[in-house]
Amino acid sequence: MIAGKLSAKWFAAARFLVLIAVAVAMAILTRSDEYGFVFLNANNLLNIVRNASILIIIAVGQTITLTAKDVDLSVGSVLSLTSVLAAIMLKNYGFSVPAAILAALLMGAFLGLINGLLITYVGLPPFIATYGMLWVLFGFAYLILRGNVIYGFPPSFRVIGNGHLFGIPMPIVVMLVVFVISYFVLYYTTLGRRFFATGANIEMARMSGVNVGRIVVTAYVISGFLAALAGLVLIAYTNGSEARIGDNYLLPVLAVVVMGGTSLAGGQGNLLGTLVAALIMAMIHNGMNILAVPAIWKSFVVGLLVITAVLADQGLRQKA
Amino acid sequence: MPSFFRKMPSAAWVIVLMMLVFRAASARYLTLGNIVNIIQQNSILLILATGATLVLLSEGIDLSAGAVLTLSGVTCARVMNGLMSSGSSDGHAMIAGVVVGLLTGALMGAITGGLIAIGKLPPFIASLGMMGVGGSLSLVLADSTAIYVNNPVFSFFGQTLDKSIHLPLMQYLSMPTFIAALVFLVVWVVLYHTAFGRYIVSIGGNEQGARLSGVNVWLRKWMVYVTAGILSAISGVTLAARLEAADSIVGVGWEFDAIAAAILGGTSFAKGKGGIAGTVLGVLVIGVARNGLNVAGVPSLWQPALMGTIVILAIVFEVVHARWREAVR
Repeated sequence: MIAGKLSAKWFAAARFLVLIAVAVAMAILTRSDEYGFVFLNANNLLNIVRNASILIIIAVGQTITLTAKDVDLSVGSVLSLTSVLAAIMLKNYGFSVPAAILAALLMGAFLGLINGLLITYVGLPPFIATYGMLWVLFGFAYLILRGNVIYGFPPSFRVIGNGHLFGIPMPIVVMLVVFVISYFVLYYTTLGRRFFATGANIEMARMSGVNVGRIVVTAYVISGFLAALAGLVLIAYTNGSEARIGDNYLLPVLAVVVMGGTSLAGGQGNLLGTLVAALIMAMIHNGMNILAVPAIWKSFVVGLLVITAVLADQGLRQKA
Repeated sequence: MPSFFRKMPSAAWVIVLMMLVFRAASARYLTLGNIVNIIQQNSILLILATGATLVLLSEGIDLSAGAVLTLSGVTCARVMNGLMSSGSSDGHAMIAGVVVGLLTGALMGAITGGLIAIGKLPPFIASLGMMGVGGSLSLVLADSTAIYVNNPVFSFFGQTLDKSIHLPLMQYLSMPTFIAALVFLVVWVVLYHTAFGRYIVSIGGNEQGARLSGVNVWLRKWMVYVTAGILSAISGVTLAARLEAADSIVGVGWEFDAIAAAILGGTSFAKGKGGIAGTVLGVLVIGVARNGLNVAGVPSLWQPALMGTIVILAIVFEVVHARWREAVR
């Protein structure tokens, strides 16, 4: 038991060491005689945190679902569909900014609800239900946009992506708010304890009076809501959306959550780990961009990272 | 209710229902030509779905099947083109290309299987990671485009026979269908008439029990993924022959159709229930739906959304129906 606690602490500390090591490695790798340490440039570092913010917002939802021993493979498509919905409401139907934002967030929560019901009431395994939803939602996003790209949003909407609050870029502000609220909910409320209880041992949780079905559905609703929020921030920042905009988030999100120490075995959510791992991931992406590694190698690297992270997690758990 | 109705698989209900709807929408629907068309168009999916069924029976899942399909088509095409440009005959180049394609699939399956059987990773995460790896390698090796293959011997294996044999009715026979039938037969024999097949089902039904009764569980599990990898590769190579090209993203999403077909055919995740005969029905559900949308003239824009919705609803129906059948028995 003591060994287990020690190695858990060691693992947590190791994550920060990896963060520093990756930062140093990237700084050295991307140094050029002409421009010096481009990686450590203040703008570049800010850029990394901004990119990590979108990833963190989605990954917080995934951390909560994994804590309850479920997984949401549809996050990328939820992001696509909700952002496309907001985009088309703003651009083509003249809805007000708050209305579009509210609609996208509600849609995200609703899609999470469908995921949750498919799993709890129909009884589909989580990865089959959510992987199926991935393709359905992509289909609808594609249908709504008629295969096109949509761009150019009103400035009052773009504030949530490229505005600043007290000098901090909005994506980072949104991420911090999401992180603090989720941290409080997961670690300091009854609801949070129930996510852990359900993930650790669903039968035990049920017998001690937890409505596990409702807890699982809640986890998916949160995950859908946060994916929608991330999508809004993303398209407000990039000023455009398309049906595949969220496709490239699934693997990095899973990688980040597992690298952060949240186990696929359930009952072990580590939000701070998710945050640190997302920063590592954003640094790796950023470094690859500076080094002009072709984009087609990205999913190779991220795929290997996912596998390595889970293997490492498994190995440490067996030792502990 | 007569027992006939109770025994009728839910996939059959779905097929009958869809055929009625599509028949109402288009008079061209229930013609011999179109039915043959459905079979020919979905032969390759059947090969992939057979692999998905084996994996599901062993209580696993392989989300990398589509990426492996793509990757083996690409390696096959590259080797074939390389050999042909250095002067090999079409036949030799084809054999080498196909062998390399199949080895690619076996290798990817061996890695995924190793991660799952030896590394004890949850199957969905190991195969999702490999999906990223395989998808990326396909883009790199094919330079993000399609590799065209101009090899008549190779193309023969993707065509209908009227292109090579000038006899009546030959347009109704196609090589992919023969390949799929052969693969199906081999997998049938392996699954139901060999020890390996029984081990797969016993691992899926009760892994602990299988281990205690002396089954070498990790080895059998690993072999399931290698087999699935080879089946994905056969699909990929056959598809490349049919299209006369290996596209770098052609397999995206195929894994979902394959897994859905297996589930629709009654193979349930966990408990080792189901079998490959049902998978044929499952593939037909998907084939009938896609073909019906085409024949009924639904714009292609609508198809991804409608196909996804139909498949999900059919899966929900299958699960609920199976539960109901358990209850009334």
